[in-house]
Amino acid sequence: MTVTIETSTAPEKLNFEYVPRKGLLKLTVINFLLGIVTLGIYRFWAKTNVRKHIWSCVHINGEPLEYTGRGIELFKGALMVFLIMVLPAVLLIAGITLYYGPGSPEAALAQGMVFGVFYLIAFVFWGYAVYKSRGYQLSRTNWRGIRGALVGSAMTYSLLYFGSILAKSFSMGWATPVMNTVLQEQITNDMRFGDAAFKFKGRAGPLYPTYALCWLLSFGALILGSVLLGAAAAGAFGETISMAFGSLFGENTEPTTDQWGIIALILLGLFVLTVLSLLFIPMLWAVYVAKEIRTFANYTRFDGAQFHLDASTGSVIWLALVNILILIFTLGIGWPYINQRVVRFVIDRIRLDGAIDIDRIAQSKARMDSRGEGLADAFDVGGL
Amino acid sequence: MESRAVYFDGETAHDRAVGIHTADGFVVFSGPGVAETKWSIKGLHPIDTPTTGQPFRITHDDRPGARIVLRDEDFIDHLLAQHKDLKGGYSWSHLKQVAGWTIAGFVALFVLGWLMLTFLPQKVAYVLPDEWRNRIGNQVVKSLVAEAKVCHSRDGDAAKSALIAMLAEGSPDMPAISMEIYDIPVLNAFAAPGGKIIFTRTILESADGPDEIAGVLAHEIGHVAYRHPEAQLLRLTGLQVLISMATGTNGGDLTSNVGALIALLRYTREAEREADSYARTMLEGANIDPQGLKRFFEKLLVLEKGADAAKPELRTEERTVMDRVGSVFSTHPGTEDRIKELGPLPAGKSPIPSLDVRQWQALKDICKG
Repeated sequence: MTVTIETSTAPEKLNFEYVPRKGLLKLTVINFLLGIVTLGIYRFWAKTNVRKHIWSCVHINGEPLEYTGRGIELFKGALMVFLIMVLPAVLLIAGITLYYGPGSPEAALAQGMVFGVFYLIAFVFWGYAVYKSRGYQLSRTNWRGIRGALVGSAMTYSLLYFGSILAKSFSMGWATPVMNTVLQEQITNDMRFGDAAFKFKGRAGPLYPTYALCWLLSFGALILGSVLLGAAAAGAFGETISMAFGSLFGENTEPTTDQWGIIALILLGLFVLTVLSLLFIPMLWAVYVAKEIRTFANYTRFDGAQFHLDASTGSVIWLALVNILILIFTLGIGWPYINQRVVRFVIDRIRLDGAIDIDRIAQSKARMDSRGEGLADAFDVGGL
Repeated sequence: MESRAVYFDGETAHDRAVGIHTADGFVVFSGPGVAETKWSIKGLHPIDTPTTGQPFRITHDDRPGARIVLRDEDFIDHLLAQHKDLKGGYSWSHLKQVAGWTIAGFVALFVLGWLMLTFLPQKVAYVLPDEWRNRIGNQVVKSLVAEAKVCHSRDGDAAKSALIAMLAEGSPDMPAISMEIYDIPVLNAFAAPGGKIIFTRTILESADGPDEIAGVLAHEIGHVAYRHPEAQLLRLTGLQVLISMATGTNGGDLTSNVGALIALLRYTREAEREADSYARTMLEGANIDPQGLKRFFEKLLVLEKGADAAKPELRTEERTVMDRVGSVFSTHPGTEDRIKELGPLPAGKSPIPSLDVRQWQALKDICKG
């Protein structure tokens, strides 16, 4: 009789590390070329290949993550959405044209209603798409042979999400910290790795000082900017301006060269103001985003260990700015690098304080969907 | 060849050190807590492509959740030599799957395109309820004539009815039609869905006798009988559905835009031949000389050739959609071939004039009333 000796090890601390591998450039180029050849159908496989690459660069205690999703699963998910959502809508629109006659007001009204219903459905199911997509990605993420899961109800999350959109808009944004906390709590508490659970516990209160600061500053900046520009312009040459615009819009008058100069100056001022608000306001909000990331990490525990994520405002701005530049200058072809940068941003900064008995974690019993992310793909909310 | 590896069983996250070796096309491994296991080398799959300096991870068909992690480069090379698919990367089955779905996508699009643009429109046109045809027709006419005045006079309307009645006499299966004359300075006549036939004032003025107009009317009735306008609209709708599906947009509401309306009136040569042959039969049945239609076509052909230079300048308020539709020749292709096919009435039939002189004058003057 042989006795099996369990080699049980002591609980250990988890270390996260992003170890870049060669091959992402080749993947990007091949994905782009095959995307053209297949008229875009390849993108599901492209997404999958890129995830496989990025996941395999994430090492936890020396063991890489593994992405086990398949292109065909994403393809089937998208096909399903096409058949049950897009196709009926398109046929309905065509049918309405045939019934009422092209260009008739009744047809325009009926089609408007169809679009309205379609957008409402999209809004209500937005959270569903977000949740399902996260669940799919977790169930396809393996570490040491064990996969993740999202074990709750996508519908509950979806209603909560819809409610959060309404609450945020009715409160002019002021409900954002509360709603984001509730949503994060809902989805985090459903997260599993094998049979080990993630826990989220914390209140939105500490987010409010930062939120209020960002809200008031961006509101103030907009008001101040417009008032300053208006006052400076009016104070300096108020009458000349009204005369200049008077001749521009008046009948039978042409502005003089000087008046053209003033008009150009004002338009330039408006342009500068717009550019500043487009740059300044998102940068301001990065302060809140960074604060939220840090706070939510602090509220999250895995199997008793505590997360930390040291995201600074500057790092969030840098991440977003470079990603936008990559998107623009590669005409979107460089998206795998954007995904890599996002994952790397998190992995480089995340810390899990506390020891975990890894060997004890057993495989997840959660059912795995055979199709992935159809709706998320349609709404473009899949994240990576 | 023997080596060391780490084994994950896919049941727990426990890592187990194992000894591993190859024997007769199998990898065999065992260790503390792992009973001796044999995996066929043919059934092995790589998790990632093997990369120097990185651990190489493999799994097996029998145990898709389990993983073996190899770090011994010599042993990895030894395995790769026995099963080249372990190198990973773009495998044939992967490419075949993508190619298969791409081809399936193209075939589906092609079949759908053929169904919606070629096969279905003409068939569906015949089963479209009259109520729908009328509604569609009214909309098409409204978009085409815009603000143009519809012409009526007591004698003119009587002449119009007489002309229709005469054509109907020899063709008992003639579809229900309506004929309206609009005060539009463009030379054209067309049939809209629902049997709505539109003549312009200019086409009446260019005709030298009632037989010419009777011929054009018979031709348009031919389009109505074959439901060509309805089929064309269905084709356009089908095109919109295809564009929507391919681009994921609403397809830009093709059916209510001017360019699309112009396309709507541009029939194929086959459709024109069908309408011509219908017109011939109808004119013979009514004992109207088909030479009228022939003469008119010939005259228009001459007019058209010189027309581009001598086109009268239209005042902007008169520019309607019809101006952009253009004249008969831009909407009725292949006219020269078709003129040749118009022969005289068969021997033994003597033509009778379609309208008398007084009626014809009343019809021509209908827009002056």
